[in-house]
Amino acid sequence: MADGEVDWELCKENIQPLRRGRAISALHQALTQQQEGTTSAINQQKQAYELELRMYDGDDPLDVWDRYIKWIEQTYPQGGKDSGLAVLLERAVMKFTEEKKYHNDFRYVDLWIKFTENCSDPLDVYRYMQAQGIGTMQASFYIAWAEEYEKRGNSRMADSTFQEGFKCGAEPVDRLQQFHKALQARVCRQMMTSLNDQETDDELSEPQRGSLTELKAKGKKKAVAPINRVTGNLGYARGLQFKQPLGPSQNSRLLIYDENKEHPEPQEPKLECWPAPPIAKPKENEQRPDKWTNAKLPQKSRFGHTVVAPPPKPTFQPFVEESDQPPVVTPCKINPAVNTILSARKPHREEQTPLKRLQERQQHMQLQQEEEDKSGEKSMYCKELLNSGVTEFTFEELRAERYRQKCSQRLEANS
Amino acid sequence: MNDQMTGSNEFKLNQGPDDSISAVKFSPNSSQFLLVSSWDATVRLYDVGGNSMRMKYQHMAPVLDCAFYDPTHAWSGGLDHQLKMHDLNTDQDTVVGAHDAPIRCVEYCQEVNVMITGSWDSSVRLWDPRTPCNAGTFTQPDKVYTLSVAGDRLIVGTAGRRVLVWDLRNMGYVQQRRESSLKYQTRCIRAFPNKQGYVLSSIEGRVAVEYLDPSLEVQKKKYAFKCHRLKENGLEQVYPVNAISFHSIHNTFATGGSDGFVNIWDPFNKKRLCQFHRYPTSIASLAFSCDGSLLAIASSYMQELGDISHPPDAVYIRQVTDAETKPKST
Repeated sequence: MADGEVDWELCKENIQPLRRGRAISALHQALTQQQEGTTSAINQQKQAYELELRMYDGDDPLDVWDRYIKWIEQTYPQGGKDSGLAVLLERAVMKFTEEKKYHNDFRYVDLWIKFTENCSDPLDVYRYMQAQGIGTMQASFYIAWAEEYEKRGNSRMADSTFQEGFKCGAEPVDRLQQFHKALQARVCRQMMTSLNDQETDDELSEPQRGSLTELKAKGKKKAVAPINRVTGNLGYARGLQFKQPLGPSQNSRLLIYDENKEHPEPQEPKLECWPAPPIAKPKENEQRPDKWTNAKLPQKSRFGHTVVAPPPKPTFQPFVEESDQPPVVTPCKINPAVNTILSARKPHREEQTPLKRLQERQQHMQLQQEEEDKSGEKSMYCKELLNSGVTEFTFEELRAERYRQKCSQRLEANS
Repeated sequence: MNDQMTGSNEFKLNQGPDDSISAVKFSPNSSQFLLVSSWDATVRLYDVGGNSMRMKYQHMAPVLDCAFYDPTHAWSGGLDHQLKMHDLNTDQDTVVGAHDAPIRCVEYCQEVNVMITGSWDSSVRLWDPRTPCNAGTFTQPDKVYTLSVAGDRLIVGTAGRRVLVWDLRNMGYVQQRRESSLKYQTRCIRAFPNKQGYVLSSIEGRVAVEYLDPSLEVQKKKYAFKCHRLKENGLEQVYPVNAISFHSIHNTFATGGSDGFVNIWDPFNKKRLCQFHRYPTSIASLAFSCDGSLLAIASSYMQELGDISHPPDAVYIRQVTDAETKPKST
């Protein structure tokens, strides 16, 4: 046990937080397995889940996905590409977009929320969910959405999101209320803080300081120096910069935030029919392979100042790489099991957000049949089955699983 | 050319396996003997000349691949994870070892005198055929789907479209890591008999010809082409290319697809030399005999479209001529 605690302490920086926390036993297991390098047990389990995804024959296919994703979260505390979580979430979410019965299943909505947290444009995705009617009866959907607004400092929209949830009758109501109250409390506290910081005297619409003079107190209260504060830190964060009230007399002037009075018509999150996908954000920091001879490196001369080295003129004809050139790796002696870790990151090809892919897929599904009839190609194998999940399968593997199931059925029948 | 079913140059093997055929392999020194492994959990040895089954041995579960070590020893592995060596003279079984998951491929490397197995447990294991015992386990990045030997080099095709080239004399590191130049799942890799490159086939009707030499001039020669596609009502049906076998003398190769066709290709002139008639169902495995006079064709449904009814499985032996297998001199 003592060893286990040390393990946990040593790698806690790498453990991704989960909404629902982690089972400490699973965490121990995952970390010890990683330390010992015994990934084969994990791989076998993963393989078993992948097979189950494909071979599932009941009427609740979401169950396997749900369990698989929860298992991945617990087994790969560091997250990252190795776990395949992002891919899996996207697949899971897309798989059931047509299944109306899951649209307000709390497990499906949970998957959506996890998926959304991985997206670069969570608000768009929530809007998309609303337009599709996914999670509109689930309290967790509104809570997650409101949190996203609050994170951006838009507590008004956060509040109206809750209102929308109440209007739709999202379940469970008490949970929604609990979170709504918590939001209101935070907003109140923020209002208070910012009000206290503000000059409360109304006559002075433009508080100012005289330059190069002593600070003189203005207004009724003697102790407060007029400081120009922007009111904009309202809703900056969740009331973390709570300050002591400066004087008891201020209480009389404290405004209680009341969304019903101040904004008689709270802005509803707009129900759009979502005609066009949002524009994919331009990628930053994207370096493309370039000619080396064009690169200029500042060099320090002997005298300490920087000179720019002239680009060396090659005396030979440099080879121009063909775009389809396969990466040929120089042999190097490192353990083949681990040397994938430091491999260079491939240039990111897809300039699509997950959401855009989602929408394209939907459109594609509708068009697919027509396209196939027109001029397309038809794959003569169970393509969907081989490619669902994170890893690919061959038909031999699926057949092997069918064989195994038949065998175990036979064994059961005999016993 | 020879596009019609002639019948005189081809026959069906008697006493074929009771379930799908996973692999056919000819003896290394005679075109008389053929090994056939099957999903009925057996490996059978056939006398091709006499069209009869000589011997049969059992595994605990379906067998996915088999190979000759020498003319009197067969090696095989499958879903029971076990690697078996069978003495064909004495009909004696030896369990040589095991993988942690089903064994997908079994090959022999003559130059290094080592048996090689690849498995869905993401490893390749080497086996000393004389003792016999395990001679090393080498982790691959993903499940092994296919492997082939080019001289003293080993080409491994795994899930995730990865291709790894190992030096069998020095397995300390991976010599080359590549990505398949085809977009879809790798089905089969076979090395050129001249050891300069390999042919890779994918699950979506495409074949790539690649070279091992990493230099640019050589790499420029690589190419890929579409095949095993059928037009039906204006819709192109794309079939998996499951099998490749090289003609040992001419360096030409045959491909077999789930469309039931067998094509022979001239990789130097980038030409198809011939196409045989359509076989009853998917081509699961192909093997040229050592002298290149015979081609064994396993026509066997592989459940590409699920567990549905299908034509019976069979192995056909076809006599091939130089006209069908020799590159056209220009």
